[in-house]
Amino acid sequence: MIGYIIRRIGQAVIVIAGVTIIVFILRHLLPGSIARAIIGLRATPQQVATFNRVNGLDRSLPLQYVTFLNQLLHGNLGYSFKQNMSVDAIVVHDLPNDLLLVGASLVLALLIAIPVGIVQAVRRNKLVDYAATGISFVLYSMPAYLLGLLLIAFFAVNLRVLPAEAPQQPTIGGVLSDPAGLVLPVATLTLITVALFSRYMRSSAIDSLTQDYIRTARAKGLRQSAILYRHLLRNSLIPVATLVGISMPGILTFGLIVEQLFNFPGIGLAYFNAAVDGDYPVVFGVTVLVAAVTVLGNLIADVAYALLDPRVRYD
Amino acid sequence: MSVLEIDGLRTFIRQRTGVVRAVDGVSFAIEPGETVGLVGESGCGKTMTGLSIMGLLPSRGFIADGAIRFGGRDLATLNEPAMRKVRGNEIGIVFQDPMTSLNPTMTIGHQIAEVVSEHRGVSKDDAMARAEEVLALVGMPRPAERLGYYPHQLSGGLRQRVMIGIALACEPKLLIADEPTTALDVTIQDQILALLDELKDRLGMAVLLITHDMGVIAGRADRVLVMYAGKVVERAATGQLFHRTRHPYTAALLASIPRLDQPVTQQLYTIPGLPPDLAHPPAGCRFAPRCRFATKECDGSEPPLGGPDPAHPYACFHPIGPDSALARAEVTERHGGRDGSATSGDLLVLDHIVKEFAVTRGALLRRAAGTVKAVSDVTLTIRRGETLGLVGESGCGKTTIGRMIVALERPTSGRVLFEGQEIGRLAGTRLRQVRKDLQIMFQDPYASLDPRMRVGSILREPLQIQGFGSAAEQRAHVADLLREVGLSPRSTELYPHEFSGGQRQRIGLARALALSPKLIVADEPVSALDVSIRSQILNLMRRLQAAHRLTYVMISHDLSVIRYLADQVGVMYLGKLVEVGSSADVYERPAHPYTLGLLNTIPVPDPEVERAKRGIAVVGELPSAMEPPSGCRFRTRCPLAQDVCAAEEPPLRSFSGEHKAACHFPLQTVSEVPAP
Amino acid sequence: MTDIAAQPRPGTPEGGEAIRQDAGWRMIVRAFTQNKLALAGLILVVAVALFCFVGPLFWHTNQVNTNILLVNERPSAKHPLGTDDLGYDVLGRLMAGGQSSLEVGLAVALAATAIGVLYGVISGFFGGLADTVLMRFVDIILAIPVVYLFIDLATEFKPTLLLLIAVLSLLSWLGPARLVRGETLSLRVREYVEAVRTMGGRSGRIIFRHLVPNTVGTIVVNATFQVADAISILAVLSYFGFSLPPPTATWGGMLENGVNFLYDGYWWEIYPACLMIVLTVVAFNFIGDGLRDSLDVRLQRR
Repeated sequence: MIGYIIRRIGQAVIVIAGVTIIVFILRHLLPGSIARAIIGLRATPQQVATFNRVNGLDRSLPLQYVTFLNQLLHGNLGYSFKQNMSVDAIVVHDLPNDLLLVGASLVLALLIAIPVGIVQAVRRNKLVDYAATGISFVLYSMPAYLLGLLLIAFFAVNLRVLPAEAPQQPTIGGVLSDPAGLVLPVATLTLITVALFSRYMRSSAIDSLTQDYIRTARAKGLRQSAILYRHLLRNSLIPVATLVGISMPGILTFGLIVEQLFNFPGIGLAYFNAAVDGDYPVVFGVTVLVAAVTVLGNLIADVAYALLDPRVRYD
Repeated sequence: MSVLEIDGLRTFIRQRTGVVRAVDGVSFAIEPGETVGLVGESGCGKTMTGLSIMGLLPSRGFIADGAIRFGGRDLATLNEPAMRKVRGNEIGIVFQDPMTSLNPTMTIGHQIAEVVSEHRGVSKDDAMARAEEVLALVGMPRPAERLGYYPHQLSGGLRQRVMIGIALACEPKLLIADEPTTALDVTIQDQILALLDELKDRLGMAVLLITHDMGVIAGRADRVLVMYAGKVVERAATGQLFHRTRHPYTAALLASIPRLDQPVTQQLYTIPGLPPDLAHPPAGCRFAPRCRFATKECDGSEPPLGGPDPAHPYACFHPIGPDSALARAEVTERHGGRDGSATSGDLLVLDHIVKEFAVTRGALLRRAAGTVKAVSDVTLTIRRGETLGLVGESGCGKTTIGRMIVALERPTSGRVLFEGQEIGRLAGTRLRQVRKDLQIMFQDPYASLDPRMRVGSILREPLQIQGFGSAAEQRAHVADLLREVGLSPRSTELYPHEFSGGQRQRIGLARALALSPKLIVADEPVSALDVSIRSQILNLMRRLQAAHRLTYVMISHDLSVIRYLADQVGVMYLGKLVEVGSSADVYERPAHPYTLGLLNTIPVPDPEVERAKRGIAVVGELPSAMEPPSGCRFRTRCPLAQDVCAAEEPPLRSFSGEHKAACHFPLQTVSEVPAP
Repeated sequence: MTDIAAQPRPGTPEGGEAIRQDAGWRMIVRAFTQNKLALAGLILVVAVALFCFVGPLFWHTNQVNTNILLVNERPSAKHPLGTDDLGYDVLGRLMAGGQSSLEVGLAVALAATAIGVLYGVISGFFGGLADTVLMRFVDIILAIPVVYLFIDLATEFKPTLLLLIAVLSLLSWLGPARLVRGETLSLRVREYVEAVRTMGGRSGRIIFRHLVPNTVGTIVVNATFQVADAISILAVLSYFGFSLPPPTATWGGMLENGVNFLYDGYWWEIYPACLMIVLTVVAFNFIGDGLRDSLDVRLQRR
């Protein structure tokens, strides 16, 4: 198992390195130069030259990359001139909110999708199965913001039971103190994630159900509940780890959409505002961060997989 | 009072196209302490019968009629909660494949303890203690330690012992064993069957042994039922069934199995055609379309199960009388070398070939964690026109050698010389030219043909690659090939899935023949086929060899199949050639203990011969191919092993003529002439 | 003493006649048509296509010029779904929007599948270092939150149709690439592929005559899902402004517009477009699922 984990860490490192290279290239492909983008379109050539010199933008590309990499390794994601803060500060400020949103949604989604998948497999092609498939299809097919909009329209506008906007408090404690405002954002992201998972869970559970060891379990005369819990569930959980890993990019993207929709004070919203404003350091800093988080998420998922599957654990 | 009594059981399976009558009127009883064998080929309904007893039918299956009386209840009509109390508790079942039948995420200790907890309601600790007891009972070495093991950490034989343990944990009255040894190596098979016998006596159970292997039945069953197309066609005590066979199907089946003790010149009996479609069974006797004795009466009405002797009923209007026998044609064609006639020289030479596969593991840099020593220093010579048989169990390297001969693998060291040329060094056009002389026939009839290509295209492909003639000539050649292998030329328009397994093997053989090769490697050509179809293919191979003067390298784990075709036989164990010689030498005068062990463990369809074999010939499990034992690799399982066997690897020593074996204590006398 | 020699019934080849089922694709079609959801999906897609492409022939509206006099009108006989904030007839705009959505969806699916299949087959077939490098590249691109970047791009400019298709294809080819690579890896060691090598067949023949045809099933299923995903992503991107420039209509653009009037109760500017998107995407998903199940049936029948 150790070998497996070390190999995965190695791959993750390579991927993150690759990401930094690509982001770096993109940064330099920006329409207009970075200087102009930051100082303004009316910058004079001298101002641009000074800016470039000060920020090391007049040196050769490979050298710039090394500096860039060096900065990243020290946790320096850049400096936002427009907001007059380092990007890390912005990120650190918003990070707990994101952990709350994404974390809560992920956990809830798993708690819903896994049992539903198993029920669908056990009652295959019966009404419950069709209904669940139908609902998850519709959820899956809706563009993400649509779902949020519908929930807002229904709960906030028509019924007026929940606020349409997420809590705006600056600290995580403040955010948590207004649970009503959290309901819709978390619900939206959860439902989207459930839709993502449920299709896979159903086929995975059906696959597991047709395995020979389920037949052996029946041959032992075990109760249905024992079969489902001890035999089916454990084996169905193994691919869930991989599933979460693969879904990470999707979940983070949907997270951004949800944040924008509900004005949720997270990194996604910060990114969105920065993009609209043309605040490039934030844009690229967050891009690298999100990519790193994705890769890390994948890595954790793979480690979980190794822990769950005895065939990998005892190799 | 019978343990189990089945009365007129009918089990059907609903399918989109209709209802398949998988079991159509089966009746028998099992008495306490006896082993009843249920034998037949795939699709005959034997497995469905077993599953019906346990109530484990697939979702589309249902019991349409009949009664299954067990312990005063009718299992066919029992509700699910009551049935659950019977399963695992009063009736245990062992399935065929232990790897997939065990839960990979649970320790074996828990999997056994689970049954005990469910039916005996004891505490967790008590259940685990009982699990340890059970492991010891089934002969698991170091049971306490193994409780915490996961299935993938054990070998096939040990896993099957765990399955048996699970089935027996609650001391059932009846054990159903559905092909319990088919997925296992021959030497392990013997151990497991002996274990089942021993446990049956110890626990006073009855056993229903379901299998397709007549040899296994001959050795282990007290009474036998033969099933064909969902019906019982004959039922008798084992001795009676084999020596006073009445039903033509049983007789034909027995005559089509190659046996170690029959003369090789005698051709195998073949049963033409295929079993009937059980969604639309024929009105009359189901075997009639394939039966030599069939008359109009047989096609018209179904023969009832009966006969003068109530202990030996059969379902046939024209049973085989006590005097008639199935005479078989003597093989008149000679395939070169069989009768010692001169052959023109060496065709293929394997010169000290070694093949090792690296196993990569570990960090970023993929260090080799070890190597699988698949083939270790094998030297063999194959003469033109003869058949070399390579025999051995899993992991012995025979398949790897076959692949090296057709250049699908390159040897790690050593040379493969074809007509004097070293093919390992060839590449590009030179290699392509040589390839047409070296062809291969694969084991799996379902994976060896591209499912997306029509048969015509599949057979034309080698011709196209090698640039053989015009399109019209290619098509004509393909038609000839099909005719030669016994298929209609109209098959060119059809896809592989429209053919049966045996027919697909014929197509595979036709493909191997397409380029008129000099040598064909046949890798387990009949292992995946039904018993009655095997003889068709084997006879076909023999005919083709004579007609085209082919040289065969026949790879199989089945010694009796090898004996039927091979002139020279090589016995392999864990990558080493332990014995080689003419067929007669190896089979009649084996020199290596492993060869003797193999010969002893192969079940022969003759009850007396089987029962005369007592005691296990080869003990223990197969060692890992990554770390083979030092010195003689067979020493860990050899009854004759001594210290020198661990210290020094035995060289190949000569006995008479070409007969050689690698053993410090061979069973024959070493000749004075030193080995070349 | 009866003597039996092997005498098959005259006319029958010794091996027997073929079992004679159906050609593979016929089985697939039959399994597909028996799947109610899949059939419903197919009918729905055809209906939507007719609505979008044939509809305008019967329902003429002006989708190019705005009309200030007609803004935000409720549904009426003249405008069954009302008008939007620029005076366009909503029903007509739905048809126009559908055209661009379907065109883009299909084009992206084709392009992404073509690129992905080639990439995946090469990576899977040659394996080793090439495979490792190619797949790491895929991993890198997958890790980057490209949608994030698009939002950024959206603030810069509005793309042309071709650019939009290109950008979406570049986003989408990763899925089929990984899928096909996996399939290729497992097919590569099948015996019928090895048989071609023993005949002297070259890599090209193996890839194009044997590997690709046998992955067609997976590819087609995936392509169907690609269409659905492309339409969905298009809608999301439109919402963030990265869509075709006006006056071209897209469903996502209509939604983006309509959302501004959520609190005003102008439901006809939101829900019709929303419904069209969901219906179309759901329909393609049903078809894809149905195809996948039908293929399983084919594989199971031996």
